[in-house]
Amino acid sequence: MNADQLYIDRVIAQIPLDAALRTQVEMELRSHIAERVEHGQSVEEALTHLGDPIVLAESYLAAIPLIAAPFWPRAAARLIDSLGVLALIAMPIIAFVALTLWREQGFLIPIAIILTIFVVSILGALYPVIAEYRYGKTVGKHLMGLRVVRESGARISFGQSVVRQLPMLTQVWWIDMLFALFTDKHQRAFEILSKTRVVVAREEQS
Amino acid sequence: MSPGPGRDDDRKGIERELKRGSLELIVLHLLSLGEAYGYEIVTTLTARTSGGLEVTDGTLYPVLYRLERAGFVAVRWETPQRGVPRKYYRLTETGQEELGRLTHEWNTFANAMAQLLRQQPERT
Repeated sequence: MNADQLYIDRVIAQIPLDAALRTQVEMELRSHIAERVEHGQSVEEALTHLGDPIVLAESYLAAIPLIAAPFWPRAAARLIDSLGVLALIAMPIIAFVALTLWREQGFLIPIAIILTIFVVSILGALYPVIAEYRYGKTVGKHLMGLRVVRESGARISFGQSVVRQLPMLTQVWWIDMLFALFTDKHQRAFEILSKTRVVVAREEQS
Repeated sequence: MSPGPGRDDDRKGIERELKRGSLELIVLHLLSLGEAYGYEIVTTLTARTSGGLEVTDGTLYPVLYRLERAGFVAVRWETPQRGVPRKYYRLTETGQEELGRLTHEWNTFANAMAQLLRQQPERT
């Protein structure tokens, strides 16, 4: 792959997946690099003038104001995700176990239920980590028109996505959630720690 | 006593802040001279200030994007028969008004600074 395409890809990678800005920035950068090349400069020189791709992406994103997601839509998104995990994963497993083991091996049912709870907990914790890292939102957040971003508006990293969900593995997750009621940008404690935010996905970004 | 590297950093920092604060004014002014594409804006600025003011592409393009979003600048793409399409920027009517406002602000600030710096220490 060419150096200019690699550079453009690195800039685009920082911008949320479904943002219209991705296409615009890609076209603009291609055009601006070509302008310098037409004036006798090399691609490498043109890229030097553009500077660090992450800083450039963040400078573009700074033009789009971020609107903090209110508490209740966030809570609704969480509820939708939890119900979704229950409906899609837990219910079929429980139904399958109940139907196959009920008559002959009823004593296995408690073990199966414990295993189901374990599997659901693991998948329930993994789902937002992967969905928010990969798509910037879960199904619940998508339905509520929300998105997870870095404080600069850029896409979050895998590490940030993991840190965001750490309180869900503890008994004090509700304390972490209460922070969203009182902080300026409606951030949970672990969102402040991971330097991420949940924002309203506006039309111009989608 | 030599200024030292710390002083030099401070000076560059002030220069950077001044430039950052006035970049929108600079770009709007350059576009008031006529429609231009990105590279043209960069080179015109250097040429018209004899190199006193320079801007990198990485600083200029996000500013142009911000001005475009605010409606101060309109754009058009020109697609050549061969090669990559080129993006041209021009000032809109609201951009012209914004330029007037920023120019007035700048002049007020510059005059006040000049007045202050002209003052001599009072002799006792």
